[in-house]
Amino acid sequence: MIREEDATGREHRDPGIVSLPEEPVDEPRANRAMFVLDGFDLYFGRAHILKGITLEIPSNQVTAIIGPSGCGKSSLLRSLNRMNDRVPGMRVEGKVLFEGDDVYGQSVDPVTLRRRVGMVFQRPTPFPMSIFDNVAYGPRLHGLAKRSELDRVVESSLRDAGLWDVVKDTLRKPATALSGGEQQRLCIARTLAVDPEVILLDEPTSALDPSATTRIEELLQRLAERYTIVIVTHNMQQAARVSEDTAFLLSGELVEFGPTDKIFRAPDDRRTEDYVTGRFG
Amino acid sequence: MIAARPAEGAAGRARTGISLGRRVRHRTAVVLVWLSVAIVLLPLAHMFAMVTSHAVRALSPKLFTTSTAGVAGGLENAIVGTIQLVVLATVAAVTLGVLGGIWVREFASPRAAFPVRLAADVLAGVPSIVIGYFGYVTMVTWLGWGFSLLAGALALAVIMLPYVLRATDLAIGRVSEELRDASTALGATQAATLRRVILRSALSGIVTGALLAVGIALGETAPLLYTAGWSNYWGLLPSFTHNPVGYLTYVVWTFINQPFAEAHALAYAAAFLLMILVLLLNVVVRRVIVRHTEEAR
Ligand SMILES: Nc1ncnc2c1ncn2[C@@H]1O[C@H](COP(=O)(O)OP(=O)(O)OP(=O)(O)O)[C@@H](O)[C@H]1O
Ligand SMILES: [Mg+2]
Repeated sequence: MIREEDATGREHRDPGIVSLPEEPVDEPRANRAMFVLDGFDLYFGRAHILKGITLEIPSNQVTAIIGPSGCGKSSLLRSLNRMNDRVPGMRVEGKVLFEGDDVYGQSVDPVTLRRRVGMVFQRPTPFPMSIFDNVAYGPRLHGLAKRSELDRVVESSLRDAGLWDVVKDTLRKPATALSGGEQQRLCIARTLAVDPEVILLDEPTSALDPSATTRIEELLQRLAERYTIVIVTHNMQQAARVSEDTAFLLSGELVEFGPTDKIFRAPDDRRTEDYVTGRFG
Repeated sequence: MIAARPAEGAAGRARTGISLGRRVRHRTAVVLVWLSVAIVLLPLAHMFAMVTSHAVRALSPKLFTTSTAGVAGGLENAIVGTIQLVVLATVAAVTLGVLGGIWVREFASPRAAFPVRLAADVLAGVPSIVIGYFGYVTMVTWLGWGFSLLAGALALAVIMLPYVLRATDLAIGRVSEELRDASTALGATQAATLRRVILRSALSGIVTGALLAVGIALGETAPLLYTAGWSNYWGLLPSFTHNPVGYLTYVVWTFINQPFAEAHALAYAAAFLLMILVLLLNVVVRRVIVRHTEEAR
C-alpha cells in the first residue's frame, strides 16, 4: 500500500518507501504496548548507564531511539532482551514489562525471551556456515529438525527478508560470501526464522551503502505490519523516514518520547531541538 | 609534434605519479621480502633434498614390510610404533587440551584462569628431555610400567598439551563477541552457542595448534628414549605397558652414528618418512577443515 500521506499526516515520507497498515483516522493508535518501562535504571558496576527510563513501546510499528554516541541507546535496546546479562556488574532497578511479564523477574527465562524478542546488530554477523544453515540455525536450536519443515521456514524467512531471489540457487554456499547488505538481510531472515514478536535493530545500516540502506528501510516498513520494531539509529533522516515514534536519549536519560513528527518538528524540550537540528551530538 | 612531446611526458609522469625515491624504496622492500622468503625456504629445500637423496638407497617396499634387525632391515616396527605413540598421545593431549582451553576461556574466573595459562606456558618451555626423565621416574620405575607405549605416549602428551590448550584458548578468544551475541540473541544457551558457533569458528585455530603439537611429537626423541625404550618388534594390538616400542626418531638418532652405509640410509629414510608424514598430515587435515567450515553439513 502506497500513500502520500498517512493517517497522522506525515506527508514528508518518501512515497516510494512507505507501506503501512491502515490506521483509523483521528483516533489514538490501536496498537497495544509491547514493552512498558517504568523507572528503569541500569548500572554496569558503578556506572549509572540508564536513569529512570519510563516509556511504552507500541506493537506493530517502528519505534526509533536516537541520541548522541555513548548516551545509552544500545544499552537500552539490549535491556529489552537481556543481552546485557553478560556484562560484569550489571544491575537493574525499576521495571521492564514485555507483554505484561517482568523481563527481569523470576518467571522470565532469558533464553525464551530472546526467541520472542529478536535482535539485529550493527555489523552483519553471518555464522561461518552455509546460507541455509544460517537461517535454519534458530529453528534447529528450538527443535525443528524435519527437512521439509526447515526448507519451508528458510524459504519464507528469506522471502520476507527480500533475499530469496538472490540466494535461492546458492543456499549451500558460505554466507560470508554475500555482500554486506545481503549479509544484513540474511541476519534479518535468520531472526525472522525464529518467529519473534519483536525485532530490535542496533544501527543496522551504519555499515552499509545508501542503496543497501534503502532496501533495509523498505524491509522494515513492510515488517512493521507483522512485527514490533525498535531501531537505534545515528541517522536522523532514517529515524524520520521509518519510525512512528522516536525516543531521544541523552546521558542515559530519556529527554523526550513521542510521535516522530513532533520530535523532529516541534519538540517540547530544548535539548531535543538542538540535537535534531544538528546543534550538537 | 614537437609541442606534443612535453605534454606526453607530463602525462606519462602523471600516470605513474610516483617519485623516484618511492620507487626505489618499493623495489628495495620487495627484494628484502623475497630475500627473507628465500632465507627461510632455501635451507628447508636443501635439507629436504639432502635427506631425500640419502634416503633413496633405502626406499623400497621392504622398508615397510620388514622390521629393523640390528642396524639393518626395514622400518616397519618403527613406523607402526611412531603411529601408535603419536595417535595415543594426540588423543590424550587433544582431549585434555581442548577441554582445558574451553574451560580457561569460557568458564574459569580470571583468578583461576591465570595460573592455568601460566602453567601451560611454562610447561611449553620445559626441555623435552626433562619431561622424558620425569616420565621415566614416575611411569617407568615408580608405577612400574617399564619402557612402554603408554609411558612414551603420555610423555609426548605432556609435551603436546600446552600447545593444544593455549591454541584452543586463543582461538576461542579470537571469535568475535558479535558472533556470540548473534547466537545468544537467537535464543541459544551458552552451551549451544559454544558448540554450534564458537567452536566452529575456532576450529581452524584449534586444529592448527593441534597439528603443530603433533609435528613436535613426531619429531621428539629425547623423552621417548627414557619412556618408550626401543624394540625391533611390534604388535598390531599393542600391550600398553611392559613392552618397549620402536619409533622413527630413534633410528635417525642412533643409526646415523653407525659406521655402515646401510644404517645411514635407514636413518635418512626414517627422517624422510617423518617429513612426509608431517607434510601429508598438514595438507589432508587442512583440506578437511576447509570443507567442514565452509560448506553445509
Ligand atoms: N560492556 C560494557 N561495560 C561497561 N560499560 C559499558 C559497556 N557497554 C557500554 N558501556 C557504557 O555504557 C554507556 C552507554 O553505552 P552504549 O553503547 O549504550 O551507548 P550508545 O548510545 O549505543 O553509543 P553509540 O552511539 O556509540 O553506539 C557508555 O558510557 C559505555 O561506555
Ligand atoms: Mg550503540
